[in-house]
Formats: sequence, C-alpha cells, structure tokens
Amino acid sequence: MNMFFKSPIDIEILLDGEESRKHVEVPASTGSGNALRKESLPLIEDGESLKGIVTLRVREGKRVEHLGVKISVVGSIDMQKVGGVTPSSASKGSSASSNASNYSATDSKKKQVDQFLYLSYDLCPPGELQHSQSFPFAFKDLAKMYESYRGKNVDVSYYIKVTVTRKSTDISKLKRFWVYLYNDISKTPNNVTTTKTGTRKIINEYTDGGNGDKSKPKETGSTSEPQENGNEQSSDTLTSQENGVVPKPVKLDIGIDNCLHIEFEYVKSQYTLKDVIVGRIYFLLTRLRVKYMELSLITRESSGVKQNSVIIDTTSIRFEIMDGSPVKGETIPIRLFLGGYDLTPNMSCNYFTVKNYLSLVIIDEDGRRYFKQSEVVLYRTR
Amino acid sequence: MSYSESVEQAISNIKQQTVLMQRSLNNRKLMDALKFTSTMLTELRNPRLLPKQYYELYIQIFDSLTILSAYLVENHSNGHHLADLYELVQYAGNVVPRLYLMITVGTSYLKIPESPREEILKDMIEMCRGVQNPIRGLFLRYYLSQRTKQLLLPEDDKDSIEFNSQFIITNFIEMNKLWVRLQHQGPLRERDQRTKERKELQILVGSQLVRLSQVVDDNLKLYKIEILPILLEQIVQCRDVVCQEYLYDVICQVFPDEFHLKTLDSLLDTSLQLSTEVSVTKIILTLITRLNGYIERVQQENENRDESNNIFQRFWKHLLKLNEERPDLSIQELSGIILGIMNLSLTWYPDNIENLNRLFSLVAQKCKDFGEEKTSESESFMVDLLTAQKLEVVKDFPIYYFNLITQCESFRTLLTLQSSSSQMEVLTKIIDSFLGRLMGTKQQTRNKDGDKSQLLITSKTQLERFLAVLEPMITHKDTKKENDEGNDTISREFTLSIYQEKLTKICHFLMLSLDKSTFKTIESEIELLLMIKNVFHKGGKNIKFTYPAIITNFWRMIRKCNIYKKRIPKKQIYYDNLIKQNFKYISRCINDMFNNCGKNSVDTIYKLNLQNAALADQLSLVDISYDFFSEAFSVFEESLSDSKTQFQALIYMAQTLQKTRSLYKENYYNSLIVRTTLHGSKLLKKQDQCRAVYICSHLWWATEISSVGEEEGETTDFFREGKRVLECLQRSLRAADSRMDNVESCELMVEILNVCLYYFVHGDEQTTHVGVSYINGLIELIKNNLKSLRLEEEQRLSEIDTTKIDSDNETNTSPYNKYNYVMGLDGTYIKLGNVNNSSSANIDFKVKDMKINDMIQIPIKHFDRTCEYILNQRDIDNRFKTVVI
Repeated sequence: MNMFFKSPIDIEILLDGEESRKHVEVPASTGSGNALRKESLPLIEDGESLKGIVTLRVREGKRVEHLGVKISVVGSIDMQKVGGVTPSSASKGSSASSNASNYSATDSKKKQVDQFLYLSYDLCPPGELQHSQSFPFAFKDLAKMYESYRGKNVDVSYYIKVTVTRKSTDISKLKRFWVYLYNDISKTPNNVTTTKTGTRKIINEYTDGGNGDKSKPKETGSTSEPQENGNEQSSDTLTSQENGVVPKPVKLDIGIDNCLHIEFEYVKSQYTLKDVIVGRIYFLLTRLRVKYMELSLITRESSGVKQNSVIIDTTSIRFEIMDGSPVKGETIPIRLFLGGYDLTPNMSCNYFTVKNYLSLVIIDEDGRRYFKQSEVVLYRTR
Repeated sequence: MSYSESVEQAISNIKQQTVLMQRSLNNRKLMDALKFTSTMLTELRNPRLLPKQYYELYIQIFDSLTILSAYLVENHSNGHHLADLYELVQYAGNVVPRLYLMITVGTSYLKIPESPREEILKDMIEMCRGVQNPIRGLFLRYYLSQRTKQLLLPEDDKDSIEFNSQFIITNFIEMNKLWVRLQHQGPLRERDQRTKERKELQILVGSQLVRLSQVVDDNLKLYKIEILPILLEQIVQCRDVVCQEYLYDVICQVFPDEFHLKTLDSLLDTSLQLSTEVSVTKIILTLITRLNGYIERVQQENENRDESNNIFQRFWKHLLKLNEERPDLSIQELSGIILGIMNLSLTWYPDNIENLNRLFSLVAQKCKDFGEEKTSESESFMVDLLTAQKLEVVKDFPIYYFNLITQCESFRTLLTLQSSSSQMEVLTKIIDSFLGRLMGTKQQTRNKDGDKSQLLITSKTQLERFLAVLEPMITHKDTKKENDEGNDTISREFTLSIYQEKLTKICHFLMLSLDKSTFKTIESEIELLLMIKNVFHKGGKNIKFTYPAIITNFWRMIRKCNIYKKRIPKKQIYYDNLIKQNFKYISRCINDMFNNCGKNSVDTIYKLNLQNAALADQLSLVDISYDFFSEAFSVFEESLSDSKTQFQALIYMAQTLQKTRSLYKENYYNSLIVRTTLHGSKLLKKQDQCRAVYICSHLWWATEISSVGEEEGETTDFFREGKRVLECLQRSLRAADSRMDNVESCELMVEILNVCLYYFVHGDEQTTHVGVSYINGLIELIKNNLKSLRLEEEQRLSEIDTTKIDSDNETNTSPYNKYNYVMGLDGTYIKLGNVNNSSSANIDFKVKDMKINDMIQIPIKHFDRTCEYILNQRDIDNRFKTVVI
C-alpha cells in the first residue's frame, strides 16, 4: 500500500555497530520472488541487548502529526500450512498485540501461528514532527526462546518494528534480524531416536533387545509416521550424555535376510555444526551388487499438531562414501565435515520440530535404494 | 557432474580442464583451479571404460595433478595452508574425485618439512577404502603409491622402514583384493575377457612388490618375519590362479636371491598351498632360476657361497611332498619340475650324481604308476629329462652322460620305461655326444680345454653299465623292416639302420676309451671286447650290422699281438696262441652272423671271410688263411646265387688272392686260383664270364707289394705263369666273341686288348706268351667287328641327317655327341653329361633313353683311345712299332 503513496516519513532503524556486526546470509523469503536471492541479516545472540537508533525523517517543509511513535521487538512462528489447526485458532492464546495481524510480517504466504516475543514501548508521545528526529532505543538483555529459522513450512523470525501511529494510515518499518542460540552439550534437545522409513526397501535392524520382526522388512509409504524405536543403545546415549560423560557411539547392526548384513557406527550421535562425522561401515554379508553408497543428512521439519503434522524432509548433504561393490569383511570409512554446509540445528517447540537424520543409502546396480536412517542431533556452538 | 560419453571426449575434456586449471593457478585462484580439477577427475568415475582406456585417462590426469601439486607446495606458506586444503577437498561429493584430490593435497603436504607425515599417510590409505570398484580402486591406489614414492618416512631408523613397508603392504593387499575381485565382476560369459583385463592390470599390483623390495632393501630380518609371511598368506588366501601365478613369480623376481635362499622353506611350503590350477612347474622353475642365478653371481664375484643348508635336499623333500599331495600332477608337469631340480642340483652340486639318481628313480616310479598310456603323452618331456639338452648348466655333455651311465642306476631304469622311439632318441643323443667328443668337433663349441683323460672306462662294471644302457638300441627292431620281411629284396640288404650304425661307432668309442692303466694286457681288452660282443649278440638279426665292428676290433687285437710278438720274442708262443684264439672268436662271430641273419648277411660274411683270410695271410698263418678262403668259397657256392653278386664276389676274391703271399706251399694258392677262374668261366652271362676270366688271368701274374718289401725287377720269385695268362685271355676272348650283342662284344674285345697290352708292357713275350702277333690278330678282329658296326651306324646316320638338316644347321657338333657313354668294368653304362665334367656321371645297367648310335660310340671310342695309347707307347717302347693299327 505504501507503494502508491509517497510516505511522508522515512523511518530508519540502525543497530549499534551494525556495520561491524556479524551478518548471516539467509535465503530470501519465499514471498520475495527469486528463491536464490540471499539477504544478509545482522546476527543477534540470545540474551544480547538490542540497542540502536531510530531516525524519523520528515520531508522538508512538511509537518507530520502523529499519535505517538512505538517501537517493538517481535519473535514469531509462521507457517504456510497448519495441519488441522488454523493459525488463527492456534494464536488465540498468545499475547498478540491489538494490531497484530494473522499474517506473517515477513512472508505473505505464511501465517503467523505464534508470537512468542513481543516487547514494545513508546519512543515519543503524540505530537508533531517537523524535522528529522532520532530516538535511541534499547531492549535490555533480551531473551530469545528460539533460533531464527527459515524452513519450507515454518519460519521463526525476529524483527524490530517502529510504528508511527497516525489518524490516517499508520506508518511502520520493519527491521529483521537473525538469532543464533549457542548450546552447551548439556542443553541439547533430548529426544534422540533412530527411525526407519523406506521408499523401497528397508534395512532391518538386528537389535540386541530383539523386537522380533527381523524376518519381515517393513515396506511403507514414503511419508510414514516416524516410529519411535525402543532402541536400547539410543537411550543409553541419552543418559550418558545427560550425565555429561563422553557420548557413546551410534552402533547399528542391520541387514536384509540372506542379502546384506552390515554394521555401522558413528562415533557419536550429537554433533556441533562445525563437527566432523566420523564412522565406519562394516560389511558382514553382501550379496548385492552395490553401485555406490552415500551418506546423506536429512533435515526433517515437522510442524503442526501431532496427528496432522506436516513433515517436510530436506536433504541437506549428499555425500558419496563408497564406489563399487565391497565384499564380505570390508570396512568403509566415513568422514563428513559439516562445517562447510549450511545446516539447521535441531529445534523443538510446540508448533514444530526440526530433526536431523543421517541416512546411509546403498544403491545397487539395478538402481534399487536401500537405506537406513538414524537420528543425530546437531547443535550450534560458538 | 557426469563423465563424457567417449574416451575421446573424455581426453579432450581433461585437456580443457587442465588448461582452465592452469590459468586459474596463474591468476592465483586456487578455488577455481580445484573446481576444474574436480571436473576433470569426474572422468575417472566412468564405469564403462576398459582398463586400457582408463589407463590413458589416468596418465593424462596424473600429469595435470602434478602441476597442481607443484603449485600447492609452492604456495603452502602464502595463504593456502595445506592442512586446510586437505580438509577442504574432502567436501567433494563423489568419492573418486575426492580421494584423488585428497591424495594430491596430502602428498603435497608431505613435502612440507613439518607436516605430520605418518598421520597423513595413514589417513590417505585408510580413506582409499571408499573405492571398492576394482578398476577405479586399483588406479586410485596406484596413484597413492606413485605419489608417495619419494615421500614415505625417511628411512633412517628401523621403525620408519617398518612403517613404510607396512604402508606398502597394506596398499598391496587392498590392490590385490580388488584385482582378484575384478574376475568376478560382470556376467559369467565374459570371464575370459575379465581374465584378459586382469592381466593388463597386473603390473599395477606387481609394482607394489617392486616398491616393497626397494624399501626393504637388504633387511632380511624384516623381510623374513614381517613381510614375506604376509605376502604369501595373501597369495594363498585369494585362491585365484592368475594372482597366484603372477605374484609368486613377482616375489621370486623382485626380492634378492639371498632372501629366497633364506626363506626357501616358506616359499616351497606355500607353493603346495596354491590352487591346483596353478602351474607348479612354472613357479618352481622361477625359484630355481633365481637360486641358480645366486650361484652364478657368487661365482663371478668370488664370494663365499652360503652353504648353510642343502638346497637339493630341501627341494627333494618338497618334491616328495608334492608327489604325495598332488597325485593328479601329470608326468609332464612333474618332469618339468624335476628337470628344474636337476638344473639346480647340477648348478649347486655339479659332481653329485646321487642327487640325479634319486630324481630319476622318482620319475621312474611315477612312470610305472601311470602306466604306458599316460607316459606316451609326455614322451618329449621325458626325452628332455633324460638328455638334459635344455640344461645350459651342463657344459660337457659327454662327461655328463658318462657319469650318468656309469654311476646313475635309475637313469637306465627310467630309460627302459620309455617308448622305443624315445629310447632311441635319447640314446642317439648320447652316442652322438660321445662321437662328437671323439671327433673333437662338438667339444670345441662348449668346452675349450677338453680334458679327455677324464672319460675313461676304468672297470668292467662301468662297461657293463654302459652296455646295459645301450641294450634297448642293441635289441631295437626297426618296425618298418619287420613288415616287409616277406619279400626279401637286394635293396633291403643295403639299407642301413642308423641306430645300428651308431652302435658300431660306439663300439669303437668304447674300445678306445678303455683305461690303459687298468686294462694293461691285450687279454683284458679282449675280455671286454667279448663282453661287448655278447651284449651285441642280444640284438639278434642286428648283429649283421654290429658284428663287423666287433670283428674289426678283433683285427686290431691281432695286429697288436703281432706287434708285441715281434717286440717280445720270449712270449712268441703266447701271442701266437692269442692270435689264433682271436681268429677263432672272429670265426665264431661270422658263424653267429650266418646263423642269425642267414641270407641277408651272406655278402658281408663272404667279404669278412676274405678279409680275415687276407689278414691271416699277412701274418703267414697259412692254414687259417686257407680256412677262411675255403669258407668264402663255400659261402659263394652255397649262398651267392645272384649273377651280379657272384661276379662282384669273384672279382673281390681275385683281388684278395692276388695279394696273398703265404699260400704257395701245399699248393693252396694254385687250387684256390684255379677254383676262382673256374667259377669265373661258369658265370651265367657271357660278358661276366669274359670279364671274370680276364681278371683272373692276373692271378697267374703276381705284382709287387711294396709294403712287404717286393720290388719289380728286384724280386725274382714272383708267382708268374704266362701260359696260364694267355689261356685265360683266350677263354675270355671266346666268351666275348660268343656274346651276341655286337656292341658289347666289341667293347669286351677292346677290354681284352687293353689287358693284353698290360701284359705286353709288363713282361716279355717269352714269359707272358702275349705277343705282337696275338695283339695284331686281336686288333684285326676288333677292326672287322667295328666295321660292321659302323656300317650299321652310317645307315642310321644318313637316315637321321635327312630329317635333321633344317633344325640343326647352326651347330657343327653332331647330335650324337650330345651324351658320352662309357662302359664300366662290371658292364654298367656310364653316362657322362659333359665330357669335361665327369662328376655328373650316371651309372646304370640299363639306360632307357639311350640311342643305338650312342651305344656304338662306346667301343669305337674305347678302341680309339687304346690305339692312341699304342701310338704314344711307340715313342718309349720300340716293340709297339710292330703293333699294326
């Protein structure tokens, strides 16, 4: 709307030391056309005070009457599709401000489902602006619950909004910024599981507990519900990690009857984003004519209420780790540097979760894919 | 990223990317350069390439990566730390390009002095496991090996040598696995194609062992304890024929021979564990060649050779074990191995015949086990084994064979187990080598200073063994001969058996090889000769070929006795008896020949009798001589039925008799010559009668034998009876005259005229009774006869002239002179192709295309030549002037 009228006031929001601040390149929001376009947003950490100056510029010789200038900092979760629950109903209980719309402030396609942060105060009482005026602002020690996130269906976005309230149309300006949450190991999300899904063939698990369905590999649809797996080792990992002990490796013994039997091992199940995934695959039996094997990192974003959640998988990394067909007894090393990729750490909140899975995929000469996913936790460290 | 469709495209892509890479490097844009490199490396992912094509691409890429590597090393300290790059390149999404980049960066990093070499090396080799495709994996690991060639740990202490060797071994083991695995890739029907490809790639695997040998250098302990066991285990474990054959060979070739000497046990034991399809022979031979090489080297450098263990003994044990564990081994394979071990034994222990004896006895046992059928397939192998012709280590074959024959019992055993033809082949080789030595021809080529003294028969047992070995040849029956036994023809009698010929030669060789210090007396030599004779006797009909050699040797004995007799008058009686005894042996031999061979040998027997008679006569043993003559006559009368043979036999008899001197007493001579002439006059054909008789005329006209001191003119007691001579000539002339073929009749007369002229020259008319009038009469007779012949000829000439004028007007030579014929003394026509070139003479009893005119020329020309002689003689001898021509 602002396009048609030359706004009588220019609002500029400048953070303190913005030039020298670290910026994060993020893909431009889907609404802004070109998907490949990147935008660079200043990075603010959790607990960091948000300080800066708002400058209001009035066109020369003009006067602008206003009913007050307000600055607010907002953190919101926006979704494109909300399975079962409408964004409006979901946002009912939130402390939405009077003028908060149901639509995301950043992406027109996405609707806001939650505003988990809203702080605001008046910069200036109602009056008249005759010339340009600057107002310093500060939100002290601002706690940020979530990390910024721009996913397929869900966004977590932060922005500062300056609104000049007028009798006629309000004039407002958004300034988005990006938030990283740095975790200690002890604070990592706590539900680490191994799941298995399959498009064609699933590699069975030879579990130590013996769940007893070794004989029939499960073939399910492409977007099956993630199954909780009562894997002892996984829970072990969890406890040890809680106790602050060096995490045990992920070890799995899997196979297809009379066809393939492999053991694989990742040195640990939690990685920082700059980490290296190290592991190995040991072939105990192979009757497949393997063409190649790759390791991929899948980022799974699931949003909405459990029964009707929207799950979107994104393959963040595809990494060939083996060429050709190994024979019994071969050990294939895995080494994957994560630092060079743009990855999303695990996230969890009421509205959505982001989980990461390592998927070991074996492709045979006939193009069949055999794979095994196991969850890994990625977290951000300084 | 994907690879090109064709090799050509791939190559041009690599070239293009290389150019781009270099350009980026020049602009110091490393990231771009790495991107181009990565694109180029994608070509190495192409699964459709054949090994050769892959190699082509590999070579190109290797060069390109060398450029990159040089840049990396250069710029390590200004901006591009190689440790960071090492991580960076690992982001490459595909494993093959990633690893090539990693190795390129890693090995560049190794060149930096402070780099953590050991870790980098370990990491690179570990990560290479990611490529499990045989061809791509092999080349990748080969790349690793090539790149790290100069960059392993500095070899200044034991640990780093160990580390380096472990590094190479690990790489080798993985390469070998990949190489073996290649065999099982793809469809079964392309198995052969796979094998071919594998052979093309084998060098990649083998090169690892070469590298290893360079690292190990002369560290035997390391090799023996740490390396060889692992290598051998790999070879055994892979259970792959191509691999086992190739790698065993490479191990033998690349490591020093001293190492093999010290690790012989494990090498040999391993060879037993290989796949049964592997050629054990090839493997063992390679090893033996290396061990022999050691000896040669040691000898050349005059080093002390390592005698710590008996190599032969070790191989012998191995052979027994092999024989036990692999009863399926064919005799070919086994004999190949044994030949190798023989080679080894002869190289290491040249004088040890017992070793060979053991080997031969093993083969003999094996031959018995297999039976005849199996052995026949391997004849040539056995011949090789027995003759050792292919063993270069044998420098002097005669001595080698001599030792074998005299000392190696199982050599004979094995020989007798072979097929007849193989036996002959072997024996021929052996005999030829001895004869070659005797003639001193072969000798020179192989051994400069022939020490002939070594080759002497020093005991009876040796001779016995010798003869035992020769026995198969002695008793050999020519199968071809056996077949046409039915129709006994003359031509067959003349066929010579090559084997029997060899035997006769070897008989002489043996007699010459007797050690004079052991066999001092003639008696002892005779004893050995009798031994040979007795063994030859086993040959049955063959003795007709071999006995003459024996007899000849008896003659040598007799001559020797005669010399000793003169030298030691005291022992005269002893030697006389010995001589007599020898003649008796000879007589026995001749009887044996007659009894065994019958008709086939009568001609030989006849001649032998005459020769004996001549010899006895020379020694003035009248009775013995007469006895042999009479034997000869009885053979003539009883057994020689063919008229041509009879004629020849008589001539021979006459020749022999004419030279005898001792038979005059008791009228032996007279009765013998009369008998001869009588037989001559009773021959079937007139021409034979004629010639035999005029030749017999010489029996009454003894001529000088200068070797016994006779001289014409000096000696007065020549046996000469001119009357008898003339009688003979007249008898001869009657025979000639009664020959109906007028050409031949004339010819005979001219021949008689020649004989007459001989007597006319050599004696005066009173003694010879051949006078001018007789000669003139003969000449007249011949002239008349020739006239009538010419008459016939002219008639024909005119006939032919009329037809021939047109065609032959250019050449003056008469067409009838085209061929010149003469007639031999036995009545054969001899065709001289060219008058000047008598070598092209053709001899035959009947000439098919001979024209009557040519025949007429024979007596005419002969007569002309005779007349010319008479004319020439006139100058010297006035008596000839009275001869009317």
